[in-house]
Amino acid sequence: MRSKFACIGVALLLLQPLAAQYRTALPGYRHEFPRDHFNHPDYQTEWWYYTGNLKSPDSHRFGFELTFFRQGVSRDPARTAAWELRDLYLAHLALSDLDGGKFYHSERTNRSGPGIAAVNESLGRIWNGNWQIQWHGEDQELRAIDERFQLHLTLHPEKPPVIHGENGISQKAEGPGRASHYISFTRLATSGAIELGNKRFEVRGTSWMDHEFFTHQLDSEQTGWDWLSLQLADNTELMLFRIRRKDGSIDPYSAGTYVDVNGKTTHLRSADFVLQPAGEIWASPKTGARYPMHWRVAIRKFNIELEAKTQLESQELTGKTGFAPNYWEGAIVLSVQRGPQSLSGVGYLEMTGYDRPVPFTK
Amino acid sequence: MQILSLQDVSKDYLTDGQPVHALTGVSLNVERGEFVALIGRSGCGKSTLLNLAGAMDFPTSGKVLLDGVTTSSLKDRGLTRLRREKIGFIFQSFQLLHTLTVFENVELPLLLAGKSNPREAPRERLAWVELDGLGDRYPHQLSGGQMQRVAIARALIHSPSILLADEPTGNLDTTTGSLILELLRRLTREQNTATIMATHSPEAASLANTLVRLRDGKIQEITRR
Amino acid sequence: MPLLVLFYRLMVRPLFREPVRSSLTILAIALGVAVVLAIDLAGGAAAGSFRSSMETLAGDNDLEVVTSGGLSENMVGILATLPYPVRVSPRIEDYALIANTKKSLPLIGLDLVAEGSAFAQSESQKTVAFQTQDVSEHAFEYLGDTDSIWVGSSLGYRAGDRVELLINDKVHSYMVRGIYPDSNGNESAIVMDLAAAQHALARYGRVDRILLKVPETPSPEEWQQRLQAALPAGVEVRPQGTGTNENRRMLAAFRWNLRLLSYISLVVGAFLIYNTISVSVVRRRPEIGIVRALGASKRVILAAFVGEAACFGIAGALVGLPLGRFMATGAVRLMSATVESLYVSSRPGIIELNAGSVFLAFAIGVGVAVASAYSPADEASQVSPVEAMARGRREYDVHVQKARDFWIALALGLAAGAASCAPAIAGKPLLGYLAAILLVVASALAIPAFVEALTSVSSKLLGKLLGIEALLASRSLAASLRRTSVLVGALSTAIAMMTAVGIMVGSFRQTVVVWMGDQLPADLYLRPAGSAAADRHPTLSSYLEEEIAKLPGVAVVDRLRAYEINFENMPATLASADLNVPRVYHNSDLFSGRPKEQVLAELRDSNTVIVSEPFTYKHHLKAGDSLTLSLGETRATFRIADVYYDYSSERGGIFMDRNTMLRYLPDPAPSNLAIYVSPGAQLDVVRTEIEKATAGHRVLMFSNRDLRAEAIRIFDRTFAITYALEAVAVIVAVMGIAGALLALVIDRRRELGLLQFLGAATRQVRKLILVEAGLLGLLANLAGLALGFALSLILIYVINKQSFGWTIRFHWPVEILFGALTVVYLATVLAGLYPAQVAVRLNPVEVVHEE
Repeated sequence: MRSKFACIGVALLLLQPLAAQYRTALPGYRHEFPRDHFNHPDYQTEWWYYTGNLKSPDSHRFGFELTFFRQGVSRDPARTAAWELRDLYLAHLALSDLDGGKFYHSERTNRSGPGIAAVNESLGRIWNGNWQIQWHGEDQELRAIDERFQLHLTLHPEKPPVIHGENGISQKAEGPGRASHYISFTRLATSGAIELGNKRFEVRGTSWMDHEFFTHQLDSEQTGWDWLSLQLADNTELMLFRIRRKDGSIDPYSAGTYVDVNGKTTHLRSADFVLQPAGEIWASPKTGARYPMHWRVAIRKFNIELEAKTQLESQELTGKTGFAPNYWEGAIVLSVQRGPQSLSGVGYLEMTGYDRPVPFTK
Repeated sequence: MQILSLQDVSKDYLTDGQPVHALTGVSLNVERGEFVALIGRSGCGKSTLLNLAGAMDFPTSGKVLLDGVTTSSLKDRGLTRLRREKIGFIFQSFQLLHTLTVFENVELPLLLAGKSNPREAPRERLAWVELDGLGDRYPHQLSGGQMQRVAIARALIHSPSILLADEPTGNLDTTTGSLILELLRRLTREQNTATIMATHSPEAASLANTLVRLRDGKIQEITRR
Repeated sequence: MPLLVLFYRLMVRPLFREPVRSSLTILAIALGVAVVLAIDLAGGAAAGSFRSSMETLAGDNDLEVVTSGGLSENMVGILATLPYPVRVSPRIEDYALIANTKKSLPLIGLDLVAEGSAFAQSESQKTVAFQTQDVSEHAFEYLGDTDSIWVGSSLGYRAGDRVELLINDKVHSYMVRGIYPDSNGNESAIVMDLAAAQHALARYGRVDRILLKVPETPSPEEWQQRLQAALPAGVEVRPQGTGTNENRRMLAAFRWNLRLLSYISLVVGAFLIYNTISVSVVRRRPEIGIVRALGASKRVILAAFVGEAACFGIAGALVGLPLGRFMATGAVRLMSATVESLYVSSRPGIIELNAGSVFLAFAIGVGVAVASAYSPADEASQVSPVEAMARGRREYDVHVQKARDFWIALALGLAAGAASCAPAIAGKPLLGYLAAILLVVASALAIPAFVEALTSVSSKLLGKLLGIEALLASRSLAASLRRTSVLVGALSTAIAMMTAVGIMVGSFRQTVVVWMGDQLPADLYLRPAGSAAADRHPTLSSYLEEEIAKLPGVAVVDRLRAYEINFENMPATLASADLNVPRVYHNSDLFSGRPKEQVLAELRDSNTVIVSEPFTYKHHLKAGDSLTLSLGETRATFRIADVYYDYSSERGGIFMDRNTMLRYLPDPAPSNLAIYVSPGAQLDVVRTEIEKATAGHRVLMFSNRDLRAEAIRIFDRTFAITYALEAVAVIVAVMGIAGALLALVIDRRRELGLLQFLGAATRQVRKLILVEAGLLGLLANLAGLALGFALSLILIYVINKQSFGWTIRFHWPVEILFGALTVVYLATVLAGLYPAQVAVRLNPVEVVHEE
């Protein structure tokens, strides 16, 4: 459940007459790895989503986001030539220079074409132009080139992949198929280098990876969502999202997952957690959207109370094409109270639908 | 026999919108063999009279008869023929064509008239004016007197009935002028042509049979000798 | 100030007393100025600002990737995934015809999926799909449709319109999905997504060009090297628009030659100014004498006459400026036709009349006037007060030094001969032009001697033939030798240029006709109806050949294929034919003169080529050398077996066996089919059969004869502009003749009057003037023909050879030449009509007695 909507939402819905050609996410799906780390062309929408908090030896902190989207356009078997549009491949890349107070982001849209973008299991590779993930066994090598900066990181999973939701699906709305298959690496030990301008930073830190595939999962009453990935210093992780509805209420299909030290997961229903903005607002000068900058989370079941804040307010991704939704996606720091224990933590926060409702349907 | 008859001729010009009476009520008869001198001051009407006599111009009123034909009744073609057959012109400044030889200058009117094989006539005319042997020269190789002789030979080429000379000695020294006048008088007699000469020179006038004195466009007196 | 008043009274005011003559002089200069200006403006619009149609929507890219025959589309994938922050924009580039209007437009296939977002990243670069109002939300919906097109706004379509497009040999219906603004430098084009474009052109697996935007650092050259290293050897990375620059360079030579041609009218105009001022000086000798006696210095006199010329120049420029702008419109059309058929597809730009053009007009108008007036003005300043006031008018050509001038002319002629033997300088036939100029000057200097000799010989004869008027006329011309010479010089220069270009073009045409006889051995030729040009080679569906070959009466079908390629920074055409098809050639069109069959046999299945004459000229190659071509992704070396004459295009040509070509460029679609009819079969029947077999395809079929006629039509269209330039030069000269005759009449009015005293009829006076005009025309025609012949040799064997590399065989285009000279001659005589009328209307009494 991610910002992918933000960019894909539009195309997704424009192209929905074709959705009938695709499978939907239904209970009982049997995940299999590494197959399920790669492409699922039977589902219309799929994404791979990397975020992380990094630090250089001199404590210069960065956040990054690299997202690959695949959106099925046509499954017409006659479309065989390289340039014919079977899938749209979109990608977002962002670098948050937290200590430098700068936020860089860019996006690209491609078709698979003659090797421009694709997901290829046999090569162990997911790419869109020169933004790519190369799998080496379990490790994932991330490389992304932008005119202003470059990322070259190696991500090593410290826990096995997590399958969110129940019975192999993460339900997002009422009705069969309104769900996704949702897989995460919740703790990826990360090392590598960031080049920014003329400077090169050797960095280390923790990343998070989401991989989700589905066909048409949300409904028209849903206007936006808030999503958090939280990596606590005690080696546990949380994923939480809440879906906001047009009437201002919080959708009952809001949910989350708790991952313990050993990688064992617990599904959280909306009743199991509290996720609320706590006052501070940042008004985007570009879009006018008013994003809550301070969130409070409470999970009684695990005796967790925490506050999430960001060091950099301007981590808004604005679609330059004017029709892709704008959203806020940024690195956050946590102050956690777990029982008697005070912990730190890092994470990523995504907020969508604050400038206008995300058009899920048309 | 009257070759030229002016009968109560008047000629008016418009100069800058102002009428100028060049000739008023002039009557004059000239016969073959007659040598007429027109005398009077500049602007008295001598040149106008000559132009009327030569059918180069036409009277405002009255009649000019050339060999019995009224000039103003003729069209362009008739006038041209008249000039080709009856009239010879001699000018103060000779008016030779510098691009033509002496012979060719003399021959010119015949050629213009379309006469073929005119070799004999020009040679003869040059003999008359005593310029035998100079036929191949160009005008600029001649003296003034010689040039005027050429002009006279040219004027006589088609044996005109009437010779009109406008100050023929005006550009010549006295001696040369006398020779030219003598030549003119002789040829007038020999060729039985009529010569009308406008002149300032009393010497020239003294050679004429008839002296016509003009004043302000009118004939003051006609003296015949 | 007082000097200005004097200048007005003595120099300017008299001009108004002869309005016709002054107007003619001004008009002559105006025409000269107008022609130069028109060619300059039109050249700028048609060729100078040349921007390939294919640069439409090319954006702000730095580099481009190209290879002969198109790139494998895999190059796009390779480039897109290189670890460099480089923007990659693949393109398919061709042409389409709008079926109902036959308007030819660039057809550009873009990666609309990627361009949409890439362009969107920089706010300034909005393009195509994504800036059309209703598009934003629907963009991707249409991309998958192969019938979606986007078009430039100036075409007047609206989203939702259907447009039939003829592409190669097929017509399809397309839906306009959006409009992009084509005002700001973007030409109107048909834009498609790459997938649709590949489909429309059957060009699967290939793109024509990949544009690259690289970061500012390190440097474009550095990036060029880095990217080149990542690509196969046959693929070239070069600065974007290199093709445009190559074409520009090629067009520059064309434009240069055309510009020089436009100066002919100016040269003719210069002669006329010279004449006008000379007349003015001679007439005013007494006046000059008086003014000098009253205290004017030599410099004042010089300045007065130069000033008079400058007045003419300024007036001429003022008239010439709008006239030139007007003529430019026509010139652009003619020029673009030439550019299209001989060089490269382009669309003329806008004619811009800017400060530079205005300056040019005045600079040449006043410059030419002052320069050509200097000599007579200087002569005026030499007039001594005594001489001028001496009574009697001196003939006006006292200063003609015939003999000296004749020897100088001879020396210049020899120098011209020497210069014409020298090689080109920096690819331009500079010495060839020098030789031509020397010849013109030599002829101008020799003309007095020529005129005198001819008139003295002819005057008696003419007198006999045409009567006394002819005698008088020829004497008068000989007498005013200087004036006559200048007039004959002016007209003969114009005639010479006309003759020279006429002979050159005629020879060229004849050479082409003969050459085509050997070049087109087949009975029928088939080509796609799609937009073709020197640099466009639309293709036929590849299966047509098989279907036609099966038809009864068809002996054999030869598949010809041409590609536009780049060889060592110059555009060239790479062509192939099926050399297994037996052919019969009557003559060899090869340099070596070897039988063509024998040479073609050498080419079969081997890396052996023959190249065209212009190609060898451009690249300094000869038979026996080898050349290396980038074909597809490879580089291959070929031996040049021989050189063939080629007059079809100024671009160089390389010819190889079809099998050899297919090894490197596997696209089997032919550009043309040459069909040989079986002996005994009826051509018309076969033709009808082929028409049936190709139904559903838009193809053009030509019989051998049609094709030749078509080629000649294109040839003639190509040279239309040179004819137009010649015509203007001749018009200027004829107007000059009219003006000069008018002056002659006025100057000789006393003589003309005298003739009437001596019995000349008005008819005779008129005839005299007309005979003078006729004599002038005759002299000018004779001199012009002689000079023109000499110039044509320089044009054919020096200038053409050095500029374009064509071997042209000399040929007298008798009919054209005779026709043109007759027209000029008649025009000259007609130019005498008005002066003759003026002469007739003179009052003999007045003119004889005035002194």
